[in-house]
Amino acid sequence: MVRVTTLALPAPPASRVDRSGEPLIRAAGVWKIFGRHADRIIGTSDAELPRAELRAKTGCVAAVRDVSFDVWPGEVFVVMGLSGSGKSTLVRTLIRLIEPSAGQVDIAGKDVTAASQAELRELRRHTSSMVFQHFGLLAHRRVIDNVAFGLEIQGVSKAERLARAEKVLQLVGLEDSANSFPDQLSGGMQQRVGLARAFAVDPKVMLYDEPFSALDPLIRRDMQDEVIRLQHETGKTMVFITHDLPEALRLGDRIAIMRDGAIVQLGTPEELVGSPADEYVENFVRDIPRSHVLTIRWIMRDARPGEEDGPRLDVRTNVRKAIPVIAESERPVCAVEDGRVVGVVDRETVLTAIAGESA
Amino acid sequence: MAVAQPAARAVAAPAPRPWWRGRAGLVVAVVLGIVISYFGWRNDVPWPASLTWNSLAAHLDSFQTWLSDHRNLPHPSIVFRAFNGLASFLDDIVGWLTSFFFKLTWIGTTVLGVLVVLRYGGRRAALGVAAAFAAFAAMGLWEPSVRTFALTFASVALALAIGLPLGVLAGRSDRFARAITPVLDAMQIIPAFAYLMPIVILFSVGPGAAVATTLIYAIPPAIRITALGIRGVQPNTVEAATALGATRLQTLFKVQLPLARRMLLLSVNQTILFALSMVVIAGLIGGQGLGDVVTSGLYSNPALALLAGVAIVIMAIALDRATEAMAIRTDPAHRHLTEGKKRRLRLYTLACAAAVGLAVGLGYAFGAGSVWTGWTGQSWLLRQVQSVLDYVQNPSTFVFHITNPIGNFIVQYGLEPLRTFFVATPWPAMVFGLALIAFLVSGLRPALIVAAMLAVVGVANEWTPAMDTLSQVLVATVLTLAVGIPLGIWAAESERARRGMRPVLDVLQTLPQLVYIIPFIYLMPVSIVPGVMASVLYASPVVIRLVEAGIREVSPNSVEAAGAFGATRAQVLLKVKIPLAREAIMLGVNQGLIMVLAVVVIGGLVGSGALGYDVAQGLQRSLFGQGVLASLAILALGIALDRVTQGRRRRRLGDLA
Amino acid sequence: MKVRAGGLVAAAAVVVVLVTVGSAAARSSACGTVTINEQAWAGSTANTYVVKNVLEKNLGCHVNITKVAEVPVYQAMADGKTDAILEDWGHQPQWDQYVTKQKTVVRAGANGVKGVIGWYIPTYLMKQHPEFKTWKGLKGKETLFKSPESGSQGMFLGGDPSYQQKDQTLIKALGLNLKFVSVGAEPAQVARWTQLYKQKKPVLFYWYDPQYLNATYQVSRIQLPKRFKGCLDDEKLGGDPKKYACEYPSYTLLKFMSKKFASSGSPAVGVVKRFSWSNADQNAVAKMIAGDHMNPDQAAQKWISANKAKVNKWLGK
Ligand SMILES: Nc1ncnc2c1ncn2[C@@H]1O[C@H](COP(=O)(O)OP(=O)(O)O)[C@@H](O)[C@H]1O
Ligand SMILES: [Mg+2]
Repeated sequence: MVRVTTLALPAPPASRVDRSGEPLIRAAGVWKIFGRHADRIIGTSDAELPRAELRAKTGCVAAVRDVSFDVWPGEVFVVMGLSGSGKSTLVRTLIRLIEPSAGQVDIAGKDVTAASQAELRELRRHTSSMVFQHFGLLAHRRVIDNVAFGLEIQGVSKAERLARAEKVLQLVGLEDSANSFPDQLSGGMQQRVGLARAFAVDPKVMLYDEPFSALDPLIRRDMQDEVIRLQHETGKTMVFITHDLPEALRLGDRIAIMRDGAIVQLGTPEELVGSPADEYVENFVRDIPRSHVLTIRWIMRDARPGEEDGPRLDVRTNVRKAIPVIAESERPVCAVEDGRVVGVVDRETVLTAIAGESA
Repeated sequence: MAVAQPAARAVAAPAPRPWWRGRAGLVVAVVLGIVISYFGWRNDVPWPASLTWNSLAAHLDSFQTWLSDHRNLPHPSIVFRAFNGLASFLDDIVGWLTSFFFKLTWIGTTVLGVLVVLRYGGRRAALGVAAAFAAFAAMGLWEPSVRTFALTFASVALALAIGLPLGVLAGRSDRFARAITPVLDAMQIIPAFAYLMPIVILFSVGPGAAVATTLIYAIPPAIRITALGIRGVQPNTVEAATALGATRLQTLFKVQLPLARRMLLLSVNQTILFALSMVVIAGLIGGQGLGDVVTSGLYSNPALALLAGVAIVIMAIALDRATEAMAIRTDPAHRHLTEGKKRRLRLYTLACAAAVGLAVGLGYAFGAGSVWTGWTGQSWLLRQVQSVLDYVQNPSTFVFHITNPIGNFIVQYGLEPLRTFFVATPWPAMVFGLALIAFLVSGLRPALIVAAMLAVVGVANEWTPAMDTLSQVLVATVLTLAVGIPLGIWAAESERARRGMRPVLDVLQTLPQLVYIIPFIYLMPVSIVPGVMASVLYASPVVIRLVEAGIREVSPNSVEAAGAFGATRAQVLLKVKIPLAREAIMLGVNQGLIMVLAVVVIGGLVGSGALGYDVAQGLQRSLFGQGVLASLAILALGIALDRVTQGRRRRRLGDLA
Repeated sequence: MKVRAGGLVAAAAVVVVLVTVGSAAARSSACGTVTINEQAWAGSTANTYVVKNVLEKNLGCHVNITKVAEVPVYQAMADGKTDAILEDWGHQPQWDQYVTKQKTVVRAGANGVKGVIGWYIPTYLMKQHPEFKTWKGLKGKETLFKSPESGSQGMFLGGDPSYQQKDQTLIKALGLNLKFVSVGAEPAQVARWTQLYKQKKPVLFYWYDPQYLNATYQVSRIQLPKRFKGCLDDEKLGGDPKKYACEYPSYTLLKFMSKKFASSGSPAVGVVKRFSWSNADQNAVAKMIAGDHMNPDQAAQKWISANKAKVNKWLGK
């Protein structure tokens, strides 16, 4: 009897990432060096020095070093690293809140690094929007006026912007606090206001700089869910900065790990957990239960003849979720992608994978 | 061995260096060197005449003559006519304000003042304002008080109109801030006496000239505090606005200014106090009002001068409290208004306006005068004040027998020897010694500046009086710190002490020094002491406030941590709070010095002689050049002392960057 | 109608308009407004208020009083902001500048008071030491005037920085073992010597007459060397101290008017020009004001009613 167990587990969401066209954000060779005469360093051998040595030698800090990546429409791109690794600087160079020292950034087909001040303002007003770690709310304005602030900057009429702000407040569940002032809200609620403010201008790209680091763990989880929900509802492209790996893994389609200003590994959560590029990344992912992150694609082996009619699972199914099926099944379970069997997993492969976790 | 060595080095803590081998020791060595040169070549090496520019004063005098000649031509040039126009414009503003208050009648003026404060500042502040009006009436000083208020109001409005935009600029541009800071220092240190005469030539006498003089002194705090406020706005809110595509102007008006609101109002508040402290000087050039009463009363009726001084203080405190209350009560970030509340407040405003109108109407109906001329307790008050003055003047009272010997002792064994030391020490020893100390304490640049400033003093032919003044300034500063730092610490540690001190500090900061110095002249009749006392009394409030603020601002976390280790209160204070408040304390030292220098001229009027006397004489005997040179010497001393005390702080900041 | 926060301002504006319209008319017109400058010392208050009351009561003038310092007041007269000063102790640079060169200020004659500046000691001391009648008697006795700040020398208390003085040079020229000690402005100097006076101690100081305090304290002048031809008074000019070795000149206290006022044709001009009285007159009024704390207007009226003849002369009757 052939049981088609594919339906027994909820199918992982179909990828919203649209890789058919051009990437929405493209960063190429971005550098940021703080300090005097920083521009003279790039291109010399000094630029290759480790950060501490460069600092000792020139007094300059290389906050971002030669970073390149693409972000596709609808993707959640997470940048992760220890504090001081240059994440905040990087995300700010994308919209030139910090002028990059070298490199090029394109957003929505526009060369940001070459943009005039006016063009830059247009970009910031309509294309991107940012959520900050310390909220950056205006204490002298009501919540609703804070949310409407971006629209006000754009010159939207008062009635219209308040109407829009009200809608966005509903979206983040703060409609009852519209007339409160920021200091009357809890930290989590304040960051919801920050989220709402960013959403209110309906940007293509959302930039988040450690938005939840200042919040309690439980609230943080709520907020992550909120972001996931909003992302699903609106399909925004996001660049999300965090120093928290579980957060990165929960949210990210792809994750870039930064160290001392440079990207040391860029890949899907699975790739990071499954094959960390170096010790630095390894140290990060060591405590992550591999079975929670890895999909069966990661552990499957090629199907031997005759094994292709076993129970079927989507290849994107989490190992953890696949275990009960595999355990119950007498036969190896088939991993299916687009209706085609691409591999099989059996008890042995699962055990090996789990054993690797505790090693 | 070779292996063990680095390990050993790593383990052994560096042996603490004894203090005499550190920087302090070197400073002491330099001082010793100066002292030795004093004993070796006392009075032998005065500043050489060949190194002075003697005709400088004459050049300055002829400049003033030139100015006056061209200003008083039948048809002066456009520049002078512009000044003329400006002067009459300022005169008109003050005149208009004054007659406005007079035309409201005294009832209307009172009701207007009280209700404005009641509406925006609350009941307590309004009560204070009402009490101030009552006091002006009771002292029989209603009219001069109203005139002084009009003058102050106009000056403050203009100072803010100029100071706030410049402060915003200074807050947003480091380069502009750096360029403007020395100008502000000069505006605050150069005694008003030095530029009074050019002002009179350009603006003539009267309220306009008084406003111009006041502006020179009151604009700097407006600029400084505004810049501080703009800089203090959380960078992340500015960044958030930028990220949303705000223009610089949008960021300024929608984010920075509203968020800097508290500081902006503080700058209003401080501008008012600074403007009020110029009232007496303004009196010398036709400023009218309480300043007049003080200056003319000083010679013929000291009790009246004192009374007018008290009126100035009452006005200052009432305005201070009122602006503070208004700042807090109208802060939208802390006072969350609903629509309903807003509507009610609008009604309230309207009711207040109606009440003012009604009061004015009543005033006219009952024929109330433009100023209060009814009952006053002036003659009774004057008698009381006079009896106090008589008491301190009487050399047979026991107080005098205590204070007189103290004063004599300070002069004989403290001030006089120190003065002789500074004046008689060979000048090269002084210049190099002080520069060396500046180098040790603050670094090379400050040291060069100190040497240059002392050279300026010598070239301007002011070496001897400057050294005389320097000796007094040092004594006054040391006393100021000895008083100010402990009191500041106490005020930070005890809320009750703070509350008790506050009115006293307010009085000391706003009472014209010439007024409170009167009793000292009587009680310690030795020429230098009253001047030193005036400096100490004037400068300590600032030191107390800065030290207090610094200690209060020490992060509670550090204090808590120390407490968790079982530190006693004294330990927390000595080992945590004071070291962490060092910045503020150093700033206190620095500001204390500047304030002491600011009263040098007043010292000259009560017997300190030296530069202060020369400046005062410069104005009053039309020795313009002399006055300017002495003022420049004061400024040069100020810059030199500032560099010695502030250098280290700057250097540390430099390290951080 | 919408309720506006600007209501307060609007109401105030209405009040102002009403009031301005109402009160524009009342003002005395016969002689117009005369502005006299009162200096900071009691003598000046005395003559200013006497002239003020004469002008107001007899000519119906409206008299304003300004209180501008001695030197700036010349610019005030040049601008016509002050019409007259009634007591000036000598400001040669200003006379050169404003009277001679610019002709914006004009002389209005002497006010009749003779000013004397000199070195004074309390009269009780003069009685004990008759040799102090002349400066020569001071020689060798300087240490009598020792004080904490003068060290081993005798102390000479200098005058207000705004007054004419040449004492530092004089001391040098006369070869006296005295130290010039500045005690600052006049109130401070007065405090200092009156205190010593009350203790009947020796004190030597710069002083002058007329001065209302001279009615309360008995002071005597020390005779300095007589004036000789070419003798100098402004020590800032420098040069040989010997040239300064003479007593202060006696001052004829002068009146000045602004050019504008002098040529205005106001009847007050004549009164200002003719005003003149004696040292005794001035001291009497000054004592009432400064010594007895009488209201200056009352003191002036009291003197006026007792001296009708003098007042009539000023009025040209
Ligand atoms: N304005 C600045 N001037 C000098 N150095 C800076 C500045 N901003 C950041 N840095 C330095 O750049 C490095 C990266 O900082 P940041 O981007 O804030 O890291 P992260 O956000 O990952 O914690 C740090 O070493 C930091 O000290
Ligand atoms: Mg960061």
